[in-house]
Amino acid sequence: MNRVLSAWTTLCLFTLVFAASPLLAQKDKPAKIKAGALQVEMIQSDEIKLPAEFQVALYENLIRQLGKDGFSRVYRDGDRNAASVGDLVVLHSTVRGFKAGSERARQVTTVSGTTSITVHCQFTRPDGTSLLERDVNGKVRFFGGNLKATYDFAKKAAHVTSENFSAAQGTGVL
Amino acid sequence: MTSRSTKVLLGIVSLFAGLAISVANAQQVSGPVKVVQLTGFAGVKDNAKGTLDVQNGQLHFVHGKTSSDISASSVQDVVTGADSQRAVGGTIGLMSMAAPYGGGRVLSLFRTKIDTLTVQYRDADGGLHGAIFSMPSGTAEVIKKELLTQGARTTAAPEPTPAASSSPTKEQKQ
Repeated sequence: MNRVLSAWTTLCLFTLVFAASPLLAQKDKPAKIKAGALQVEMIQSDEIKLPAEFQVALYENLIRQLGKDGFSRVYRDGDRNAASVGDLVVLHSTVRGFKAGSERARQVTTVSGTTSITVHCQFTRPDGTSLLERDVNGKVRFFGGNLKATYDFAKKAAHVTSENFSAAQGTGVL
Repeated sequence: MTSRSTKVLLGIVSLFAGLAISVANAQQVSGPVKVVQLTGFAGVKDNAKGTLDVQNGQLHFVHGKTSSDISASSVQDVVTGADSQRAVGGTIGLMSMAAPYGGGRVLSLFRTKIDTLTVQYRDADGGLHGAIFSMPSGTAEVIKKELLTQGARTTAAPEPTPAASSSPTKEQKQ
């Protein structure tokens, strides 16, 4: 009887520890940075030769995904309306790696022809104070055109943004 | 003997004539060009099919009954590129992937050449937009030239002269 009781106690303790660990982990997460609005700068690729269509697709997909991920106020590069916004966060993106891949190779072999892009994302205040820096990559392994890698990047970058920044309520500007 | 060689000669001549005519047709595009708007054009859904035309200093994109225009003078950069797409695409292309003995993969080898046209322009607030169009091979350069003559700008180097293009650069060889 005693043995059954001790087994029950051990089981209860284990359950408590497992249940409590995610809660403790959530407490360790740093507080989100307040962002009144986001301004996305055009993707830069000075070191890496990136086709123009990739550069534009990265930029457009990024703006679209940020809007979908809860940021109702996303301004484009050069938008004059962004100047009057408080707590503005500016996203600078620089391409650090690019592998063009091949859609034909993917369709014929399945295992080769991957397209991948690595982009260094830097979030700053308008005065240049750095808030967060991350490398985000986008890939297309099996299906879809090469430009689909830009969509993958945009989704991941938007996820990083929503994890670290809290969007203020307001009207959307796209 | 003579009639046979004459037939062969006629065949070769007609083949070259056909090639020459198709090249000439590709370069002399007048009027609207059938395009697919891949992404970025304000107010138009991705992958929308329509026609593109440059008239009176405006870049017109007509999709169904709706028409979208941007001023050529607001275009910051216009770049052309070359790509290819599956000759058999869409639902049939997708279904062919299930064909036995890799039949679908063989179909992936048949591809048609296409041109891409990437346009970067600014809206009334100064916000930067980018749009990507795909179109039949040989037509993008014509639209680019028309845009440039009507006030658009480009960062791409001018097209090489025929003499220069006959001797490829080191970069092109790679």
